[in-house]
Amino acid sequence: MTNTEFTILDGGMGTMLQAAGLPVGMSPELWNLTNPEKVTEIQKQYVQAGSQVIFANTFGANRCKLAGKADVAEVIKAGVFAAKEAAKGTGVKVALDVGPLGQLLEPLGTLTFEAAYDIYREIMIAGAQAGADLIVIETQSDLYEVKAAVLAAKENTDLPIWVTMTFEASGRTFLGVSVSAMALTLQGLGVEAIGFNCSLGPKQLMPLVEELRRWTDLPLILKPNAGLPDPETGVYTVTPEDFAKELVEASTLGVTCLGGCCGTTPDFIRAVCKELEGVSPAERPKLEYKGICSSRTIAKYGAVHVIGERINPTGKKRFQQALRDGNMDYILARAVEQQDAGAELLDINVGLPGIDEKEMMVRVVKAVQGVVDLPLVIDSSNPDVIEAGLRVVNGKAIVNSVNGEQAVLDRILPLCKKYGAAVVGLTMDSSGIPDSMEGRIAIAKRIASACDAYGIPKEDLLIDCLTLTISAQQEQAVETLAAVEYVSREMGLGTVLGVSNISFGLPEREHITVSFLTQALYAGLSFPIVNPNQDAIMDAVASFRALHGYDDRCEQYIARFAGRKTEVSAPTAAMTLSDAIARGLKAETAALTREALGSMDELAVVNTLLIPALDRIGAQYEKQEIYLPQLISAAGAACEGFEVIRTSLAKKGDSAISRGKILLATVQGDIHDIGKNIVKVVLENYGYTVIDLGRDVPPQRIVETAIKENITLVGLSALMTTTVGSMEKTIQALRASGHQCAVMVGGAVLTPDYAKKIGADFYAKDAKCSADIARSVLG
Amino acid sequence: MTAKLTKINEQEVLRYLGCAQAPDPELQEKISCLSEELIAVSVPRLVWRRLPLLPENEFLLAGEDIREILKDCSEVVLFAATLGVEAERFLQRAQIRDMAQAVILDACADSAIENVCDHFCEDLASLAAPRFLTDRYSPGYGDLPLSHQRVIFDVLDVTRRIGVTLTDSGLMLPQKSVTAMIGISDQPQKHHSGNCMGCSMYLHCIYRKEGRSCDKH
Repeated sequence: MTNTEFTILDGGMGTMLQAAGLPVGMSPELWNLTNPEKVTEIQKQYVQAGSQVIFANTFGANRCKLAGKADVAEVIKAGVFAAKEAAKGTGVKVALDVGPLGQLLEPLGTLTFEAAYDIYREIMIAGAQAGADLIVIETQSDLYEVKAAVLAAKENTDLPIWVTMTFEASGRTFLGVSVSAMALTLQGLGVEAIGFNCSLGPKQLMPLVEELRRWTDLPLILKPNAGLPDPETGVYTVTPEDFAKELVEASTLGVTCLGGCCGTTPDFIRAVCKELEGVSPAERPKLEYKGICSSRTIAKYGAVHVIGERINPTGKKRFQQALRDGNMDYILARAVEQQDAGAELLDINVGLPGIDEKEMMVRVVKAVQGVVDLPLVIDSSNPDVIEAGLRVVNGKAIVNSVNGEQAVLDRILPLCKKYGAAVVGLTMDSSGIPDSMEGRIAIAKRIASACDAYGIPKEDLLIDCLTLTISAQQEQAVETLAAVEYVSREMGLGTVLGVSNISFGLPEREHITVSFLTQALYAGLSFPIVNPNQDAIMDAVASFRALHGYDDRCEQYIARFAGRKTEVSAPTAAMTLSDAIARGLKAETAALTREALGSMDELAVVNTLLIPALDRIGAQYEKQEIYLPQLISAAGAACEGFEVIRTSLAKKGDSAISRGKILLATVQGDIHDIGKNIVKVVLENYGYTVIDLGRDVPPQRIVETAIKENITLVGLSALMTTTVGSMEKTIQALRASGHQCAVMVGGAVLTPDYAKKIGADFYAKDAKCSADIARSVLG
Repeated sequence: MTAKLTKINEQEVLRYLGCAQAPDPELQEKISCLSEELIAVSVPRLVWRRLPLLPENEFLLAGEDIREILKDCSEVVLFAATLGVEAERFLQRAQIRDMAQAVILDACADSAIENVCDHFCEDLASLAAPRFLTDRYSPGYGDLPLSHQRVIFDVLDVTRRIGVTLTDSGLMLPQKSVTAMIGISDQPQKHHSGNCMGCSMYLHCIYRKEGRSCDKH
């Protein structure tokens, strides 16, 4: 497989099998066991037509699709044997064909990354044992799923890996993956060739091929459909000759690996071979872009990108409390807030004594990439934590960080290489931070040569020249700036800098921080790590971009500042906390809570102001004077008030006020969780601690958690008639465990009678009602 | 026929939210803003096939109700429609940002997928004219089991064509997705608008639970 000679693949399999008598609705892979000779016969036709690589009939051979029908490993082995039979004596290679699992991965779906890996591992091992020559992971639309498959292949076989994904004409997959993110991530993971299959016809895929080759120098694969099917009948109408002409046209863009997908037959492959006669592969242009990415968003090297620093417990009592409580919502809110403020990457640091950093890193990375679409920076000094984080990242991440110590480089750089991550190199080593610019540059050079030795591309090394506090070491600021300038201009490397440390211990820190940031950007800083919620900082970045031509026609600058007025946001004197909550005004509620804390303690504010305000709202809701949206809006505002209370308590080192713990879950089989999430918001705002197990939760997990956390009230939600059965099972399991707890149930299809019938203690007709039940059970 | 999402019906959203009786201007304003945003982010997708009702397609008729509906029909159309993963993510993010908005958005999305289905049915009606369409009927209605979802998925190759997946329990992801069957007949067909057939809210309608129907039906 190279960029300099063509490789001909095969064409469609499904329609060929159906033409040979496969019944509609039957898994095609089952024929590997029952009719292997028919499978071989079709593949022989492809070999005769000119295919140099044929795909075994193993596309859907996985545990999800074959459950209860056949043993996966047997089906795969039989499939590879059937293909090898067709290739016998011809030199044609046999690929293990690996299709998507057909289940959506977390966070949109319920299949975990680890479970997907496990399913793929079974496939890869069976394929390698059967003697496949290579592995093709194809028709994928989720980059995360592809990553699980690629890791499963790399870690369990030595076979070359090719990946093709399925795109829409918009240039995105169904899951929104961009061509560039696919290229950056998969090249980083070390696959041998990438490209597109299925999706559209060759002509419609041309613009996508043009985009792909800007981002990768790997050999390119194109295995399109025979045009677009007639929507009414599902039949493809393009002729083999027209298909071949269009496909060979793509070879002028440098595609060397050509074949067909849905609707193509051996005639199509024969036509492609004919059309390719006398054609040689086009020379590939130089790679244009590199960078960092999530599955949907790119931070391209060669520009300034802000890394948000707020997901980090250092010096933040409230954040530390959230980590100890496993409060993902708090952490996710920090992620969303930073993206809204303009952060382009997020640093993730969850190191805190007393918590399992590795487990927390995995949880936070998964949760954050579920709600924001930004590339991530895995920030830890512990190699195990780094690896755990890199493994579950969707996209190409940055590791923060290594330093000049050889032992650290030897431990962490191989991880960066394996997972295709960029890395931050701190200009310090076992003897500390050099005082001079020269000393820091010497370390930067050492790190650069170590990266080179480990095969990490130069542009994936980002040097951090380290910011020191001027109140302690005033002369160091210019050394840092000089080092940034040298690393950027002379060594041609990207740079990272945690900026705000510069002003530590000084009054009105923002002035020094912003000024230093601007100077560092001028010196060549490419990835400032800052608090994007500070307007002055993002204003400075926006101004720098406009001044340095990163912001075409100053459009972003204008969008940011046009119409901005200085806000006068003191709440009007007349407004009470109760009014602010009733009207759902978050900022005012927070401000008035802070004001109240001036004259009362936290508990008093909760009991005499916040809870009574919520009670009034609840009563209005019962009388149908207000409706669900206003109820939740008020709860959301009250939440800001409670947040002020929690922050105040965390500062004093007190644990949070809680009126008791409640476990909530959407039962197994059900994926609709908005109702449960509404209940959660309302309960939390009545001061209860909610342990939210999420959706599709097996009964056993609910029982175990109830016992472990000593829960006395469990709330279960189910939206569908079909999943109420699993609610009943959960209640039975709770009763059978002997654990004493009350169970409340809710959901669109439930009624009081039905709730009683399945053994629930309470029927919660709505979120307000759940708070009343909580009060009666927990006080 | 392409998937179209043109409009979110404010009255319908108010009904889904349970506040049709006492609409409040502030809420209406929010619905209209969020509807606009939702329409902008959604990428509706559609896949369908028209099949003759011959003995080999008997497997499509799982249950008495669907047989009854299709009894005068010579053909059946299977379709699947979705607001796409883009809308799904938008809804999930709203739950982190602001639960009150998320609740309104969820109702807007229910109305939006109805709009996509309505457009499809209108287009199909003109394509089928002068013949007639039955109501649309989905797995989970009446005695058509939810497990029939898998059959429709296989016939239409739904996951590969429009990116909707099916969980083991027969639920679709992205959630704002619909599958249905519609018959084509030479005779005019009775429409059961009074008993909620064809409404995508059928399975989790708060009105139906109380033995009522919303004023749409």
